Amino acid sequence: MNRFDDKLKLALRREEPSSDFTDRLMARIAELQKQEKSREKTNWLTKLAEFFRPPQLKWATAGAMAVLLIIAGFGLHQSRESERRRLAEIAEGERAKEQVMLAMRIASAKLNVAQKKVYESAVHEGESK
Amino acid sequence: MASEKRTDQLIERKEVGMERADDTLSRAKTGDQTAFADLVRAHQAMVFSLAHYFSRDRATAEDLAQEVFIHLYQNLGGIESPEHLKFWLRRVTSHRCIDHARKRKMRIVSVDDAPEPVAPADFHDSLMTATLRRMVATLPEKPRLVVTLRYQEDLDPTEIAELLEMPLNTVKSHLRRSLAILREKVTRCLGEVKV
Repeated sequence: MNRFDDKLKLALRREEPSSDFTDRLMARIAELQKQEKSREKTNWLTKLAEFFRPPQLKWATAGAMAVLLIIAGFGLHQSRESERRRLAEIAEGERAKEQVMLAMRIASAKLNVAQKKVYESAVHEGESK
Repeated sequence: MASEKRTDQLIERKEVGMERADDTLSRAKTGDQTAFADLVRAHQAMVFSLAHYFSRDRATAEDLAQEVFIHLYQNLGGIESPEHLKFWLRRVTSHRCIDHARKRKMRIVSVDDAPEPVAPADFHDSLMTATLRRMVATLPEKPRLVVTLRYQEDLDPTEIAELLEMPLNTVKSHLRRSLAILREKVTRCLGEVKV
């Protein structure tokens, strides 16, 4: 180092910034942190709002439609099943009714035969007397 | 014997200082605001002066220095040691200064065009200092930064080359040429005074 180098070193020696430099910096950092926190807080709200915005909205609609279709399909299936059960019950009732009628017809025919026989035997007894 | 003892004391003091700096850095990295403020106080003169000798304006230099420290706060996790911190701050400050100059399209005055200060008969060191600062301020961006890092930060050309990601020969050439210009200019300006 020569004399000129020393002069340059002296001329370009470090200097302090203004006395409130650190305080101002720390205040700016605190402000930045506050902004960052409030950004984080509103983040989930933004995400939710974004979900209902295109193109996310079409996915939400598609999802809702799928749920509705599943519910409607299940309802239709249930209704068809109950109708089938009702018709089966009616058919069963009809079958039972026909059986009862047949039984009554058989019983009636038997009774007619018996009545006829009783009548004939009574007539026969009267003639012999 | 006495000189050996003094050297040992100096080494011990340096080690204690480094341990303390390491501890402050570790605390700052965990989010300790007081520790970060201590780091700022320890390095603000270095950062501010680099920006000041580059920008030639106190307010701009303070703004640049604040930006550098905010950037440091956001990237503190990547700082490995106090030495790395110093290197990082010098590098980021240098880059910020050059970016700032590019954005503002600062008018670079050639050394040959710079107005020459009038030398009074009774020349003092303070005038020499002011004259040299004015002359350094007229250097183009990169040579100005190289000269500032060399004489403010006492870095050798290899360190400057690493810091500015510049070939060593370019740094040496900037230094050689800048010094020659400054010496010639100051001698012409303050002719009677030995520089």
